[in-house]
Amino acid sequence: MSPVLEARNITKRFGAVTALSDGSLTVEPGEIHALLGANGCGKSTLSKVIAGTVAPNSGVLRFNGSDIAPRSPRDAEALGIALFYQELSLVPQLSVADNIFLGHERRTAAGFIDAKQLRHDTEALLQRFAGVAGDGFSADAPVSTLAPDQRQIVEILKVLARKPRLIIFDESTAALDRRQVEVFFDILRSLKADGVSSIFISHRMDEIFAICDRITVMRNGVTVTTLTTAETDRDTVVHAMVGELAVPQRFARNSAVAAEPRLVVSQLSSRRLDSVSFDARPGEILGLGGLQGQGQSAVLRSLFGAEPLTDGSVVLDGKTLTLRKPADAIRAGLAYVSGDRGRDAAFHGRSIFENIAAASLVKERRRLVWPNQLKQRFIDAAAALNTKYDGLDAPIGSLSGGNQQKIFISRWLATNSQVLLFDDPTKGIDLAAKADFFTLARGLADQGASIIFYASEDSELLSLCDRILVFNSGAIAAELTGDTLTAFHLTNAAYGKAA
Amino acid sequence: MNRATLLLTNPLVLATLSILALLAVGETLSPGFARGDQIIRLLTVSAILGMVAAGQSLVVIGGREGIDLSVGAMISLGAVLAGNVMAGSDGGIVPAILVAGGATFVVGLVNGLGVTFLRIPPLVMTLGMTGVVQGGLIVLSRGIPSGNAAPSLMSFVNRPLLLGVPGILWLWALVGIAMWFLLRRTQLGYAIYAMGSNERAAELTGLPVRLIRTLLYGLSGLMAGITGVVVIGYTGNSFVSVGDQYVLPSVIAVVIGGISLAGGSGNYFGVMLGAIALTLLQSVLITLQMEFWGRQLIFGGVLLLLMLLYGRTKQLRV
Repeated sequence: MSPVLEARNITKRFGAVTALSDGSLTVEPGEIHALLGANGCGKSTLSKVIAGTVAPNSGVLRFNGSDIAPRSPRDAEALGIALFYQELSLVPQLSVADNIFLGHERRTAAGFIDAKQLRHDTEALLQRFAGVAGDGFSADAPVSTLAPDQRQIVEILKVLARKPRLIIFDESTAALDRRQVEVFFDILRSLKADGVSSIFISHRMDEIFAICDRITVMRNGVTVTTLTTAETDRDTVVHAMVGELAVPQRFARNSAVAAEPRLVVSQLSSRRLDSVSFDARPGEILGLGGLQGQGQSAVLRSLFGAEPLTDGSVVLDGKTLTLRKPADAIRAGLAYVSGDRGRDAAFHGRSIFENIAAASLVKERRRLVWPNQLKQRFIDAAAALNTKYDGLDAPIGSLSGGNQQKIFISRWLATNSQVLLFDDPTKGIDLAAKADFFTLARGLADQGASIIFYASEDSELLSLCDRILVFNSGAIAAELTGDTLTAFHLTNAAYGKAA
Repeated sequence: MNRATLLLTNPLVLATLSILALLAVGETLSPGFARGDQIIRLLTVSAILGMVAAGQSLVVIGGREGIDLSVGAMISLGAVLAGNVMAGSDGGIVPAILVAGGATFVVGLVNGLGVTFLRIPPLVMTLGMTGVVQGGLIVLSRGIPSGNAAPSLMSFVNRPLLLGVPGILWLWALVGIAMWFLLRRTQLGYAIYAMGSNERAAELTGLPVRLIRTLLYGLSGLMAGITGVVVIGYTGNSFVSVGDQYVLPSVIAVVIGGISLAGGSGNYFGVMLGAIALTLLQSVLITLQMEFWGRQLIFGGVLLLLMLLYGRTKQLRV
């Protein structure tokens, strides 16, 4: 049997960045095929090329045995390739039937929507999911009355109504709970039984092993290997994802980590956290790892009093903290640097002096501001990071992104805080600025500060941290120290296996 | 953009140039327009506008679409209360200031609470408050002009006090210095700019944003109430709509002064110039014997023109 889809040597450049240098993927009819890789490995770009939303620079794309070059999602859809959107695209006020055929309604001779035909077609589609759809699910039901997993089914029916031969599911299970995932898998299996092929993109290794026939692994824009699920195991897959990574440059510790913890966090719970406990010592850089959005930022923001906690305690230097607002955390000696500096840090249009000053004024309860008393301290703080700027009176907008971030870090250096919470602080800054940041972070730790550092890039965590807590679904899934501080263990833990 | 155009789009330069141009026009139309005692007269009227615009400035700089449309009603409230409390006697001046300032401060805080905690858009909140205060005033005073200014208050506003300059102008200068000190030398001032520029970032540096925003509306009410006391000193008695004419000019003065309606920028010095320029414009129009509707039309036009002009320069600067 010939494959339904064959993508070979696909390349795609965005300006100077090569997102995809050799993307290949073969999908058989009726196959559920996993596409797997770390963030930025090119799997998204490859699936977008297949779905027609991105045009490749070169390469061969064959579908049902003939060459294709879809220019838009509509082109791809007409060929029989559908992309399943997780973002709900339903109109709540309309019925299930109306939603399914929205924009593709059959018309009567007079040009009106053929309601009878619409209903008939919908019933035929619903038939397939009679077993899993649950109560209150009918062609006439308004979508607003449906449960979330029923809406998911409507989304899928919407895709199926176009009679595709291949469906791309990108992170489709990310928002679903266990029971809903089961329903979703039932749907995938019934599609498979009808000979429809699926490309399944997910970060959940358990799900991939539960449902997929084969796994294609990508790394750095290249397809590394395709494995048959039944003949492989998780370690092999993780090794393929991580590869023989060059060991990142270590910013090694120069002084001992104190034995006594400074910060003891117990049972932190909130909407996004599930009983998180850990401690941090003076001199230590503690990393928070895992896939994006697993609670790492939530921990940092909660410790800083910027997100409410439902339970848990935070003890700093033997004192229990009440963290109702950021000012509480700041006065206790905590500092928080966000990677989203435009949203969380920048006072646009204001001077560099003002951008640095705010935190010091709050921490030291300075009701009156005498700039000359503060200037030297701010200049020293900015110098510690090699910040390039044209005087404290220059507007913040006159600096490059990297230098702006240095100013926002200086804001906290000037307060002499001893517990630094870094929330993906190097996002979108240049390499030189990153190196300055690493040197500074290590230097501060050597002088006795405690640093808790979340980075979306694993290599940054591995090069800087003394210890890494790996997060999954708002809880700590693993703790990596010493020999387990490797890309392999980090990836393995992030994808849901205890180290 | 070259240096010359940069200078011309600087609000302070623009305001100063308009002041000089308007003086020249006025003098041409009606010789004696720019005479010393006339200028003192103009500045006195500017001071009244400038003081109410001080509170308006704080609210606008604080951001989140900050604007206080209730300043007119607050001036009326302050004037009516002050007039009735002092009832023409000098001994009543201090109580009058306390009652007028206290009442408008509290009403302003209510504005602030609505904007901050109930998240009512400032435009709607302060417009609604205008209706409430005006209605209340009519009920209280039965719509008849009431209350009299104390003689000392009238002379403070209208007669020379020191160096040939009336007390009201010294007071305005004091307000100017106080505004500079507040904005440039206190944590509160730094916080106002910070939250006007980026509220989320201000919260993440520990600034008590919600408390401050509530306070800003209270201060705007207070400044309007004090302005009301000055107004009754200027006119001699008070009536329930005496403050209405200041609402639009207070916003225009702020904008002429270079404070962006988006918040987080500008200073009060520019607003003082803006108040003078606007008062001059009004005088020139009156000299031209233009009717009230014509002046309203031109004022509105000036505001929209400025929005257009500053909106553009802001885009160019990015």
